[in-house]
Amino acid sequence: MTRLLWRLANAPLFVLIVAIGVAIQSSLFNSYPLLYLQPDVVLIAVIWCALRRGFDEGGILTLIFAAVAESHSSAPQGLFMIAYMAVYLGARIANKVLVIPSLSTMVMMTMAASIGWKFVYMLVLTLMGHSSGQWRHMLWLLFPSAAMAGATAIWVLRWLERFDWNTYKDPRARQGPEDEVPLDTVEGF
Amino acid sequence: MIKYLKEYRFYVSLFLFLLIPVIAIDTSTRAPRDYRLYDRMILGITAPIQAGISWTLDQVVSGYQNYLYLWNVRQDNVALVSENRKLLNQIGVLREGQQENSRLRNLLSFREKFTLETVVARVIAKDVSTEFRAIRINRGETAGIHKNMAVVTQEGTVGRVLRTTANTADVVTILDLLSSVDSIIERSRARGAVEGMTDEICQMRFVLRTDDIQVGDLLVSSGLGGIFPKGIPVGTVAKVRKKPYGISQDVEVHPSVDFSRLEEVMVVTRSESEAILTSDAKPEKAKTR
Repeated sequence: MTRLLWRLANAPLFVLIVAIGVAIQSSLFNSYPLLYLQPDVVLIAVIWCALRRGFDEGGILTLIFAAVAESHSSAPQGLFMIAYMAVYLGARIANKVLVIPSLSTMVMMTMAASIGWKFVYMLVLTLMGHSSGQWRHMLWLLFPSAAMAGATAIWVLRWLERFDWNTYKDPRARQGPEDEVPLDTVEGF
Repeated sequence: MIKYLKEYRFYVSLFLFLLIPVIAIDTSTRAPRDYRLYDRMILGITAPIQAGISWTLDQVVSGYQNYLYLWNVRQDNVALVSENRKLLNQIGVLREGQQENSRLRNLLSFREKFTLETVVARVIAKDVSTEFRAIRINRGETAGIHKNMAVVTQEGTVGRVLRTTANTADVVTILDLLSSVDSIIERSRARGAVEGMTDEICQMRFVLRTDDIQVGDLLVSSGLGGIFPKGIPVGTVAKVRKKPYGISQDVEVHPSVDFSRLEEVMVVTRSESEAILTSDAKPEKAKTR
């Protein structure tokens, strides 16, 4: 029963964690020149949803995370939703085609997603007529942002793995008490 | 029906996941977005965290700078820089006032002055996106701040209030892609709209090719639109490029406010423009919000 409750609490807690992450990201990295190195917490969470959640649950969480990001930005409503949804669907397709078993491949995927996300974002901005002078700016920040996303993903993904384990979202954690083994001894991060 | 929904659940979900963002972006292009209930719930959680981190960082940085290193020199430097900024701003305002006086004396001999009521607020966060350049301040509706109020510093124009909660407000800076400030060149009175471009540069649009604009010219707000009081410095002209064709010229503007070091701002809660006619006419007050 306790395990079921923890599993039910997983999604709301996940949203809360992402909201706190966005708050930290936008305030800790708000000073020059750190603002250019903002790690995209939402992007990492979306990647996690794409790889470790069902299609419906992950999609709904992606939309919620995008709404959280939009409430911390002056970007037009829907812009982040489209960009993050594109990343989510892209990551799911990549997960079907490619094998992504380890932390390192997930980090590489996060870096690739960071670059893809920027292009989708700029494409939508261009279609909305707001992109004047932004392409060059985006290209300057493309690889530093991806590197920062990758570096942050190493810690965040490990932490999310532990979070899923503790809330019994991870299938391996749902085994009986007699089968329970410490997290460090099972395959994972 | 339910059987079909179950059978095609994946496609239905996929359709909805694609449809919802498109609907959201469509509604945002029809009407500017304000905070909704869920936004306020999210901000209820994140704003105190942002304020806490900002306060902690501020304490750590100022403690490091003030107490460990060169306490007196730092204080003097801060005071002198602040005084220098104020004096530069005063010079700009005086120059603007001088030109305005001579121009208006020639017309109707009336003068205009401003009285601004402001609320001082601290910047607690910046935009999560590097392309949009909004900031969040730690004062909101309870301090009398409302949507579309002008935000300034002693250096010049910062932006306008986009949306508010009880204790925070989001400010669209003049560097933001969605910002547009009607401005005039102080020297030649050429008019245009200053729009955001990059983290350091704005662009002045809709400027006629024939307008006299030179590098170093000071731009001030024109007062059109009713958000920014007239005469507030916006920036200086950094680059002028005239194409061999077309009716306009490309003008790049360096904002007068140093956004990389923006810590405190003033929100103009009330700007009163008092127009006094010549001595034989009755004084008349005109209030702008």
